[in-house]
Amino acid sequence: MIMSTRAITIAGFIIVIAAMFVLEFLARRPGSRIPTLGQWLGYLMRPRIGRVLILLGWWWLGWHYFAR
Amino acid sequence: MATDDVTRRGDRLGRSGLPLRPGPRGRRLRTAVIGAVLAGYAWAAGAAVPFSTTSLVLVLIPGVVIAAIAYAWPPERIPAPDRLDITGMFWWVIAVAALFEWEASAYKDNSLPWHPSLTDLINPMIGPHIVKSAAILLWIMVGWALVRR
Repeated sequence: MIMSTRAITIAGFIIVIAAMFVLEFLARRPGSRIPTLGQWLGYLMRPRIGRVLILLGWWWLGWHYFAR
Repeated sequence: MATDDVTRRGDRLGRSGLPLRPGPRGRRLRTAVIGAVLAGYAWAAGAAVPFSTTSLVLVLIPGVVIAAIAYAWPPERIPAPDRLDITGMFWWVIAVAALFEWEASAYKDNSLPWHPSLTDLINPMIGPHIVKSAAILLWIMVGWALVRR
């Protein structure tokens, strides 16, 4: 069976997002060297500019999906 | 329990002499009230017509509130790690870069039906009112989680 280009595109998104869930799962194992999503976001938000940019990105997502 | 709201040694007291932080029962009640208000807000925001002033304002309000809390009344923050393991972080960089690249390639191709962007895929999913409201509630909770970081 040949996948359509649309199906390949959707599969790509599913694979990447699933990989993020796997990473989060692996990160939560004891002794893991992989940081959790919260840990690396927290690290990026340590400087004020990082905090502002991450919060702006969060707001932009809301505007993009819910106001448009 | 009846002793839940009793002031304990070490509790910080407010001007009224009552503890600044409510006891477990008070916390549960406060959480329930905030949850109900946020759910109602998300329900109302989910009903707003896209591309309308109302929908814009209903998305602006949580942004302003979260920004105000982050700036003026920052909650107790979850300590961030002093450093990240480079190898471990690398896996996240790959995943995030792949997501952005995949999205950018769809966007560059004008999000045609044969190469849809993430937005094209998500928008129909959040079409039903209840799903959109749940997504808005989740978005607000993520904003609160970010403020605590």
